[in-house]
Amino acid sequence: MNNTLSEKTLRYNDKGNVHMDFHGATNTTIEFIIKKYGVNIMNDIFKKVGNNVYADIKKHIQSGNIEMLAKHWKHFFDREGADYSISIEKDEIILTVKRCTAYEHVKKLVGAVSPNFCDQTIKTNEAIAEGTPYEITTEILGEASCKQIIRKRL
Amino acid sequence: MIPSDHFTRFYNEVFKFLEKQGEEDLENYWLEISKNQEKHTLKLFKEKGLAGMYEYWDHIRIEENCDLDLKLEPNKLELKMNVCPSLSKVQDNDAEPMKRYCDHCAGWIGPIIDKVGYHLVYDVIDRKKPQCVLKIFKDKEESLKEEKNAKLLMGWPGKEL
Repeated sequence: MNNTLSEKTLRYNDKGNVHMDFHGATNTTIEFIIKKYGVNIMNDIFKKVGNNVYADIKKHIQSGNIEMLAKHWKHFFDREGADYSISIEKDEIILTVKRCTAYEHVKKLVGAVSPNFCDQTIKTNEAIAEGTPYEITTEILGEASCKQIIRKRL
Repeated sequence: MIPSDHFTRFYNEVFKFLEKQGEEDLENYWLEISKNQEKHTLKLFKEKGLAGMYEYWDHIRIEENCDLDLKLEPNKLELKMNVCPSLSKVQDNDAEPMKRYCDHCAGWIGPIIDKVGYHLVYDVIDRKKPQCVLKIFKDKEESLKEEKNAKLLMGWPGKEL
């Protein structure tokens, strides 16, 4: 396992305090959009986030540099205090989230988390990898736990 | 996970979709967000009035890394946003910003302030600049007078301009 990352800077390199309540607003948004417009529209919005907001990570993946995604994952899961492990190889990165603090925070705020809450991860990941030589799969392991893998397409 | 740090960029994508559907769709969403925000504000605002509002935005100032000044007076709360992190992030974005991004703030705050019986004057000043001034009055007449000084006055569901 090699967890050393290059010095390249993230496009969005947030610092300072973390406002976890935004995850509650994400949950509200997911429920609102799905109820009014359907799950496909919600997924289209996540696709736009993956393709456009994360255009820089996508560009790196397109050119074969998947390290930037690992750097992104590490930076933001650290900022949010999640319990995770990450294995970084040249052509494969495995992120195992043992305790997702976003999910847990929403559960604490509203009790019942949207069953589509994790679609933000699944669909955004898919869009980031779309059209690149890599795929990103997201497997939900249980409540507040998942495995995200980026590897070369077969 | 879309990191909480990136929520506003996700929000921006949602606004762009809803704006294409129509004004009513956008306003219904702001009202949904407003309902969500009631969990964090309504009890505090009802019980402590302007002091409760000061408490809430002071917490937001720290947690959302805002450069803002808060001034509490007996009959008025003034919030001067010097650098709004929300619009700043939407502008520092590889996706295109929604041109009326600022409107959502009055869109969710206004209905809550109405509900607790206070009077909001929301001056966005310029939608392209991450700064605004929000004033909340106990007295309606005072708020109506203040509206005349606003450079770009915002309305919200329930208060059409």
